Amino acid sequence: MWHKIIEIVDWFGEMTERYKLIRDFNKAGKNAFISGIAPTLLEAKITNGDSNYRHQFSKFLGGGFRIKALSGRPLKKEEMIEIGKIILDNKELVRKLVALGWDTMEVHDNSGFNGCKWPLKDYANIGGYLN
Amino acid sequence: MNLLQILSDTSKISNVTLDRNSLVSAFWKYAAISELLIISFFVILYFKTREKKLTSIEAQLKNSKNNKVNMDDLMLSINNSRNLYKLLSKNCHPDRFINSTSHSEVELLFQKITENKRNFQELVKLKEIAINQFNIKIE
Repeated sequence: MWHKIIEIVDWFGEMTERYKLIRDFNKAGKNAFISGIAPTLLEAKITNGDSNYRHQFSKFLGGGFRIKALSGRPLKKEEMIEIGKIILDNKELVRKLVALGWDTMEVHDNSGFNGCKWPLKDYANIGGYLN
Repeated sequence: MNLLQILSDTSKISNVTLDRNSLVSAFWKYAAISELLIISFFVILYFKTREKKLTSIEAQLKNSKNNKVNMDDLMLSINNSRNLYKLLSKNCHPDRFINSTSHSEVELLFQKITENKRNFQELVKLKEIAINQFNIKIE
């Protein structure tokens, strides 16, 4: 019973951490767009993710971390890949994403269905394999 | 006489039943205590085995939940690191220092620039090193 209570408390803690991360990213993206650093407004959101990229910490129906270009100009494919690689190069962020239950990293344009996705477990570099 | 005898007998019987009741209640008390001890032992055992089951990977990931990520730096990296990397890789390329004494040092600097090509903060630090230590004009 205590175990269940601890699990429930952990679950709520993780959910708040997840939404805090999304909120921080969106806030930073908005500030960068307003101050003119970024030509496009980037927004992060939670999606279903890819079931092929699942690992043991994946959240059910919430494994995708999607970055979407909202306004300004549309992103080219190379730019989408570049954004994805910059995030995947940030080891701390990738580990945090994996620990908080995300398994797929997605970068999408505002219009159309085109986008790129990467399995986060391949970039976590935690000295072992995740199932 | 008989009545008195009967009364004395009933008082004895009540004493005996009282003793038996206290014995029974004491037995259940000790049973409850021992049950509590056994349950608490198994609870402790369960948590200890659960801790052992956490592999090093899981422990690492659990710790990484508390990592602080600076999103402003991330945004700067997303938007500016590519241009700064191009600039630095052009100006600090080791081929420009072939006959110079600082060729090997510039080569190391260039390696660092390539390693941190997507980290804006590190590229800014390397730019300062290039300007201050090697007198490279970054244009």
